[in-house]
Amino acid sequence: MKTLIFSLYICLMATVTVLVSSCKKDGDTTKPVITLIEPAEDDVLKIGGTVHFEMELEDDVALQSYKVNIHHNFDGHGHEKSDEETETVPFEYDNDKWDTDIAGKKNASIHHHEISIPENATPGDYHFMVYCTDAAGNEANVVVNVELSHEDNHDHDHDHEGEDDHDE
Amino acid sequence: MRIGYLPAVCVLFCMLHVKAQETDSIRTLRLKEVDINDSYRQFVRRQSALEVDVIGSVFLRDHFTGNLVQALEHMPGIHSMDIGSGFSKPMIRGMGFNRISVTENGIKQEGQQWGADHGLETDAFNVERVIVRKGPASLLYGSDAMGGAIEIAHLPPPPENRIFGEAALLGKSVNSSIGESVMIGFKKDAWYAKIRYSGQDFGDYRIPADTVVYLTQLLPVYGRRLKNTAGFERDAALHAAYRKGAYLSQYSVSNVYQKTGFFAGAHGIPDASRLEDDGNPRDAGLPYSTVNHLKASARQQYTAGNLSVVLDAGYQNNHREEWSTFHTHYGTQPAPEHDPDKELVFSLQTYSLSAKLQWTPSPVWEHTAGWDMQYQQNRIAGYSFLLPEYWRFTGGLFWLTAWHPRSNLSVSGGVRYDEGRTDISAYTDGYLEAYLSKRGYTDETIAAFRWRSYPVNSRFGNWSGSLGIIWNPADEHWLKANLGRSFRLPGANELASNGVHHGTFRHEQGDPSLSSERGWQLDVSYACEHGGWSVSVSPFASWFGNYIYLKPSGKWSVLPHAGQIYRYTGVKALFAGGEIAGGIDFLRWFGYHASAEYVYTRNLDEQVALSFSPPASMRHALSWKGKHAQVETEWQCIAAQLRIAKNEDPTAGANLFHVRATACIPLGKIHADVSLSLNNLLNKKYYNHLSFYRKVEIPEPGRNFQILIKIPFKQNIK
Repeated sequence: MKTLIFSLYICLMATVTVLVSSCKKDGDTTKPVITLIEPAEDDVLKIGGTVHFEMELEDDVALQSYKVNIHHNFDGHGHEKSDEETETVPFEYDNDKWDTDIAGKKNASIHHHEISIPENATPGDYHFMVYCTDAAGNEANVVVNVELSHEDNHDHDHDHEGEDDHDE
Repeated sequence: MRIGYLPAVCVLFCMLHVKAQETDSIRTLRLKEVDINDSYRQFVRRQSALEVDVIGSVFLRDHFTGNLVQALEHMPGIHSMDIGSGFSKPMIRGMGFNRISVTENGIKQEGQQWGADHGLETDAFNVERVIVRKGPASLLYGSDAMGGAIEIAHLPPPPENRIFGEAALLGKSVNSSIGESVMIGFKKDAWYAKIRYSGQDFGDYRIPADTVVYLTQLLPVYGRRLKNTAGFERDAALHAAYRKGAYLSQYSVSNVYQKTGFFAGAHGIPDASRLEDDGNPRDAGLPYSTVNHLKASARQQYTAGNLSVVLDAGYQNNHREEWSTFHTHYGTQPAPEHDPDKELVFSLQTYSLSAKLQWTPSPVWEHTAGWDMQYQQNRIAGYSFLLPEYWRFTGGLFWLTAWHPRSNLSVSGGVRYDEGRTDISAYTDGYLEAYLSKRGYTDETIAAFRWRSYPVNSRFGNWSGSLGIIWNPADEHWLKANLGRSFRLPGANELASNGVHHGTFRHEQGDPSLSSERGWQLDVSYACEHGGWSVSVSPFASWFGNYIYLKPSGKWSVLPHAGQIYRYTGVKALFAGGEIAGGIDFLRWFGYHASAEYVYTRNLDEQVALSFSPPASMRHALSWKGKHAQVETEWQCIAAQLRIAKNEDPTAGANLFHVRATACIPLGKIHADVSLSLNNLLNKKYYNHLSFYRKVEIPEPGRNFQILIKIPFKQNIK
């Protein structure tokens, strides 16, 4: 009788082992890595200008797509109201139209000035968010706090050759 | 609702032609054959081919934390998915949410189980005994119990006429919590009744960290207390029974109210300004959630000869509200005039009816036939949207049989058929439409997204079954094996939800074309108890032909603050694992108990693990037991969980040490049971892979000192 118990148990363990070991190679669960260079935390973005946007994307298998979102954070996600007197509108930006640029690559350097801030944007605190997915659907995101202002005190040198920016 | 007709006729038939008694009577009969030393736990474990465990009142008291699930977590195979320090939901062998069911007073607890930030709405003080079934239990409990079932039961009334009661006081240092509970009851001839009130108040909980990292931002934790995680609970319950001869009727009414704050840093985009100490660690300001769960049930039992019939009826109202300062991303949406900060409301009403007929034609055969139905209606409110309104009707018919050809062998099996209908209301959002149009999306995109919920009216039917064997070659040991097929109807969130949830930050999208979840599970368990030692091994493996999970679609959502869309999708999945437990009593006063558990999960389409896979873990406890006191030290070892689903983070392991002591102190004619416990002795900073706050990198509570004083009393009366 003990042999029966033992053999039943061995059968079950064998089934489990076969099931487990017959599985194919593990899928990809590693997220892509976003290195956001510009804008940096607490940067000031000029209203009426364009945003200097620069980042490095990296994935161990293949990148898929990225998306940029800018939204206000006036009072910690409070009421959204247009300022009637000055007729400014809280700036909101969402763009995922650059899909094809990076799909399939392991590394990508993104550098452009496609994001423009209209003159009627309400000045204040904003969140600048970047999302990135890889081909398997792993997703990473980064958020930095930025300020939209009419004052041009953007304290970063700008070098189109892609060399390091220097803080002053 | 014609699916209800046939079962209803069956019940009518049963009621007209059958006179019976309580369900347990047949068990009681066979109890005579069992060794008189057998405890109730042993008895139940030998009766079910499925792996089952009974958790008694002493264990519940020794592991009490004010939260039932955290006490159950000490059993191998059961995990607690925590939402802060106060509330938790259970998980059995890697299955949680809607995949396990919890029953109390004979009816299935129905809340918003699908939600990540939902806790189990029960009063932990009001639990006297718990029966846990691991593995496919949908045969007995219907659709949701595919992963197992937790049955909260009352102890049987005392045989003597008496007045009895209990006062309990709980104090915890980790969240400055104070809990109290008072119960009073009587048993007089045929009558039995008890009433209980419990309350708990807790402050923000302490974590062994000064900062937390959320969405790449380093957020401060002032005073090492997680701001706004305070809350409170107020519960009341009445239980009454009348027993005369072969007739028994039981009535229960309970109400549980819970309020708990959400850590503001984890609700929406992080913002350090909202985390500053407000000087009051005991208030739960915005954002917070409240839940009120009202439950009423009635049972009628009648026994005549070898037949017994049981009827259960229940009503539940689960009202959940989430409050958060009014915010919108749609410029045209005004704040509501009344309650502008009421973000989400789910009001779920559940009506249930069930009937069970037991027939024991001979000592070797035992049959049970049953029918049950449930009707649910969910209503919503609030300025935000997550889950649509819906109604759902389910009904099932089952037949179970047990055959005992020899005194040491029994074979049991059964089949069940369930049918369900879900009708989900459509919901379109004009503000979202205006927003998308302003943002320049094409008419096609707007048409697709303005529906926050598509109208769904679908019908699901499925069968479940099981075949098991229990072999008891000698009193000391037994072997059980069970093969079961289980299924689950997709929930309204899986069929029709469409929105971004604050906690998860994911745009979750339902799929109206999903079919029901189904799988097979094989369980084996062997237990041996001899003299002062015991050992049990219970491996299992299950395979799901259709397992519903949230699949990252790779498509960006157009909703503000959302990354990609996650869509509910059915896949083939595998679960395997098991539990090993053992213990030995030595040197008269000492005992050593150890248990280990492991669950392997795999999404066979993506070849990755499933989300919320519990890490392997191990517990070693060394105890000293005197006549009136007991001391126990425990080493809990949690392995790292590196097998993760996409977009889940691996969690490091931890070694935790706990100390518990219980003493019975005489106070004149009565006595007080005092339990002291020190959890996470070394104040270790660790993460729970299953915790709601895990994804926002918030560690588990730090060192906790707890005291529980229970003063029971009883007075026999004539």
